[in-house]
Amino acid sequence: MVLELQKPRPIWQIMFSTHHTDVGLLYLITSMSFLFMGGALALAIRAELFLPGAQIIGDAMTFNRIFTVHGTTLIFLFIIPFASAVGNYFVPIMVRYKDMAYPKLNAIAFWMIPPAGALIWLGFADFTWYATPPYSIISAPGPAADMWIFGLKILGISSVLGAINFVVTILKCKHPDMSIGQVPLLAWSFLSSSLIILVAIPTFAAALLMLLTDRLGVTGFFNPAMGGDPIAYAHLFWFTFHPEVYVLVIPAIGMMYEIIPRFSRRPIFSYNSGVFAFVLLSIVGFSSWAHHMYATGMSFTEKTVFMVGTLAAVPASAMHVFNFIATMWNGRIRFATPMMWAVGGIALFFSAGAGGVANAAMPLDFTTHDTYWVVGHFHLFVMGTIAFGSIGYFYYMFPYVTGRMYNETMGKVHFVMSFIGTILVFFTQHVLGLYGMPRRIFDYPPIPEWIAMNQIVTVGAMIIGVSMAIFLGNMIYSSAKGKPVDAHDPFELGGKYYYPFEQKNPHH
Amino acid sequence: MKSIVGLFLVLAILVIIPAADYVFAAGAEPGEYLDRRVVIWNLFYRLMAVAFVVGTVVSGTMIWQCWRFRESHPKAKPTPYEKEGVW
Repeated sequence: MVLELQKPRPIWQIMFSTHHTDVGLLYLITSMSFLFMGGALALAIRAELFLPGAQIIGDAMTFNRIFTVHGTTLIFLFIIPFASAVGNYFVPIMVRYKDMAYPKLNAIAFWMIPPAGALIWLGFADFTWYATPPYSIISAPGPAADMWIFGLKILGISSVLGAINFVVTILKCKHPDMSIGQVPLLAWSFLSSSLIILVAIPTFAAALLMLLTDRLGVTGFFNPAMGGDPIAYAHLFWFTFHPEVYVLVIPAIGMMYEIIPRFSRRPIFSYNSGVFAFVLLSIVGFSSWAHHMYATGMSFTEKTVFMVGTLAAVPASAMHVFNFIATMWNGRIRFATPMMWAVGGIALFFSAGAGGVANAAMPLDFTTHDTYWVVGHFHLFVMGTIAFGSIGYFYYMFPYVTGRMYNETMGKVHFVMSFIGTILVFFTQHVLGLYGMPRRIFDYPPIPEWIAMNQIVTVGAMIIGVSMAIFLGNMIYSSAKGKPVDAHDPFELGGKYYYPFEQKNPHH
Repeated sequence: MKSIVGLFLVLAILVIIPAADYVFAAGAEPGEYLDRRVVIWNLFYRLMAVAFVVGTVVSGTMIWQCWRFRESHPKAKPTPYEKEGVW
């Protein structure tokens, strides 16, 4: 099997390579595979909720398993590995170094992902991606729950190893002629998100160990029957996973910082404000975790602090949006597929952020807590911003990786259908939440408004599903039969840029 | 750069101060459930009105600039950076 058409090689040479572009390619294929697997589960969830009563999934336990694995897969096995793919491929080139700082560690970090994915998929746990205690301790059936915990543990180690590699590569291995103020914003996004990982992940690593020993009956940290407190787990979990939101979104914004100036034919409006906003987001990401827990009986002062901490992310996010708008202003924009995804991603990022502001206001949070509003809100971020930025960048790097161009018309069809589908699904879910529909339910009462809105959501999901099938077909066909491109300028934009295929360092 | 940071600091303050005002809508006294519900929904609609106005301005600007600055627009001209070949 040939993967890189520029320099055809058997697949085993790529699999056992430690070269950064090879490891990046492995990350890319793995993450895209999990995108389709996790997406298939989403379609099953939506088909089930098309009407009240059991439809295609037999029982609530199976439904719980499906949405648990759906969330776990798309967050930990698609978004994070995809960002690693882009970082591996481009960061060493951007900082003008021959490889990642620790190539073998890099390969090890990648090879932790397939076994972790296997543990999650073969176990098929049912306790949500949050591993809700005390259910996860007392009643969640093993070995599925234990396999999930081990899978997440492995993924956490993989993330930390990857983060160390990015930080060292960017800070210590950049070319001596290059100051930190000249590092491209995509590399800055990896530096910021890697630092967040290094601070945030150890807390969840500890929480997972405590969860496991609780399940074994050795301890009772989160078990009320043994004097423990499930809310303590919530604090530990969200201390990691609210900053993790920024770990997911910052690289996607970094990808947009590559695409938008390139296709607008103008440099980024304000490099410094981009860097400032990344750093600010990395810091304020740690000041907002408890906004997930307003309803758990926190004191008024605590809630106020976390509400203000959450709102502190608004200016940093707005700086990115205005930076993009100012960059496009007076440009000569080519709306090739990557640019369409990036611009669509900005629009949805703004919408998601507006919903987040409403959600962060404490009194409103009580109204929307644990309803479909929350589902709509975070999916608008995860799909509308992060996946849009990532898929746009996938199209952008496709000709560099394969030496061939994808079908542009199919790419645009993919975008238009996904954009419409995303709006139908996630905007409607906000309204559904205001109508009071709780999240994570297998069945619902036959309230006419709920039925109508669930049907709109399901139709939107199916539109996204069809668009993803078009995407898959386009990528497979184009990687083998696509039109060969001039790798110096595959999008015919002109200008000088760094070209991955031209790097001087040989494969080793 | 300083002016941009200053601008965003002002914007941040403009967002945070009214938000702190919203916090007090929750109240701490028991027995006012219905009143608080009204207050909360009132806040929700006010906040949504602000969000929709700002969203409309930003989205409208984006849509207009996508239309105006596309390369196929009759008035489109090469950017100064294209002549230098570096951006």
